[in-house]
Amino acid sequence: MKIAVMSCIHGNYEALETVLRDIEYQKAEKIYCLGDLVGYGPFPSNVVEMIRSLDIPTVQGCWDEDIVEGLNSCECSYPSVLAERRGKFVHEWTNQHIHDETREYLAELPKTLLDGNLAFVHGSPQSQHEYLLPELNGFIALERVLSTGADILFCGHTHVPYVRSLDRGQLQVRVTTGVETLNAESRSFNADLKRIVNVGSVGEPRHGRPNATYVIYDTDSDQVTIREVEYDYQKTCAAIIERGLPAIFAWRLAKGMEYAERADDASHLCERGI
Amino acid sequence: MSIWAILSGIEGNLIAYEAVLADIKRQTPKVTELFILGDLINANPASPKVIERIRQPRTGELVPQVCKGWWEEQLLILHGYVQPIEPNPLIEKYGVGTAKQLWDNIPRETVPWISELHFGFMELDCFLTHGSSINVLEELTPKSSPLQLFDRVTRTQARRLFCGRSGQTFRYQIKDGSVTSTVITLDGVQPTQNAEAAEHYIIGVGNVGRNSNQPTYALYSPETDKLRFQSVRYAISRGFS
Repeated sequence: MKIAVMSCIHGNYEALETVLRDIEYQKAEKIYCLGDLVGYGPFPSNVVEMIRSLDIPTVQGCWDEDIVEGLNSCECSYPSVLAERRGKFVHEWTNQHIHDETREYLAELPKTLLDGNLAFVHGSPQSQHEYLLPELNGFIALERVLSTGADILFCGHTHVPYVRSLDRGQLQVRVTTGVETLNAESRSFNADLKRIVNVGSVGEPRHGRPNATYVIYDTDSDQVTIREVEYDYQKTCAAIIERGLPAIFAWRLAKGMEYAERADDASHLCERGI
Repeated sequence: MSIWAILSGIEGNLIAYEAVLADIKRQTPKVTELFILGDLINANPASPKVIERIRQPRTGELVPQVCKGWWEEQLLILHGYVQPIEPNPLIEKYGVGTAKQLWDNIPRETVPWISELHFGFMELDCFLTHGSSINVLEELTPKSSPLQLFDRVTRTQARRLFCGRSGQTFRYQIKDGSVTSTVITLDGVQPTQNAEAAEHYIIGVGNVGRNSNQPTYALYSPETDKLRFQSVRYAISRGFS
């Protein structure tokens, strides 16, 4: 059976429609969504409505959480005051443009979904805001997968897809307990093959091209395929400008970049702390 | 030479705490730092006396460095200083009656002081906290997953993590380890990498007030990396019959 997993649609309805057509063409039988349905893009409620109408199991993303909680959307990673100001503007714009039932739907989303030996989260099992980057320490990455009880952990949040295999994990430990009489014991820990699959972003890619990305996991062959899908991103760019979002986000989308702003403000401090 | 006395879980037991302080005073080489890793209080009415004793050490005594623990966090939740947790851990574990006792027995004017207690301390290559580096509620024990323990100590960038939540005395040494990692991106297969685990320690410092008449705590020298656990026996004076 083929399972399609997508994430970080960010109100980009055009990209979502194209990806759903590609998923159908790939003959996937199940779809999962890893959150961030809203934020940055011009059609947040339309995206949510599409996901709901197709009954796609979805976890809550960091932007979804922020919209529900009314929090500042700062991800503690804005490179400058200018970038943070634009982020706040977009958060407020999204807040004003989503329907009440959209907000209610986002509030009800779970943080984690499990399906057999597969786990689905937005950022990491610990937090929607944690980035599981491909260069994360191998033991920490392994801990994140094992903490779910799954063999494969699907995540998003970084907007850059990858498949990471963690194999032959082993630790040697020595445990001493007691007070006056000490008992010491040596133990060995071993882990079988585990994987982290980052599915990239449908609506706001950051891999250097504007194309949407998602993954297909084949449960029969145990293969993961990263799909990169071209779509009419110019349509989304035009909508960003028409609907009053900062034009710079249209430029960023066209380039497939993480930030449009240069990180030149050394005095910038994130409001949520460093 | 620095010698640290590290304790946790006084839980309103002033007699036990005094016995530990007396034991610390007897140590040679002399103890130079005193850390109290949370749970100064519990719901019992003697808890305010422990707070007072800690806030006002006697002349010549070490000034303790104190961080908050599970019980302090429950008090702060009750008073609205921190976000509530569902289900409420205090009510779930001890019932509504205990929650009311905690509210009644800790004076309101003490709560601001408790709210300003540190989460933990970073000293040299050691991190000292009540629960774990994630929060005060998490309990690390010798039975915890080795990867979980490794994560909790390395995320602080320390080599040693001292904690008190479990009440147990233990030294968990992560000696070595390895894991092979392969990453496939849109650009193709990246070179395989082998990560190796360097030596790290998680240390449970025991508990002062929970087990009757037998407080335990840890003595540690950062210069020599020598660690030992102390058990203190004391008798409760019953006066004349």
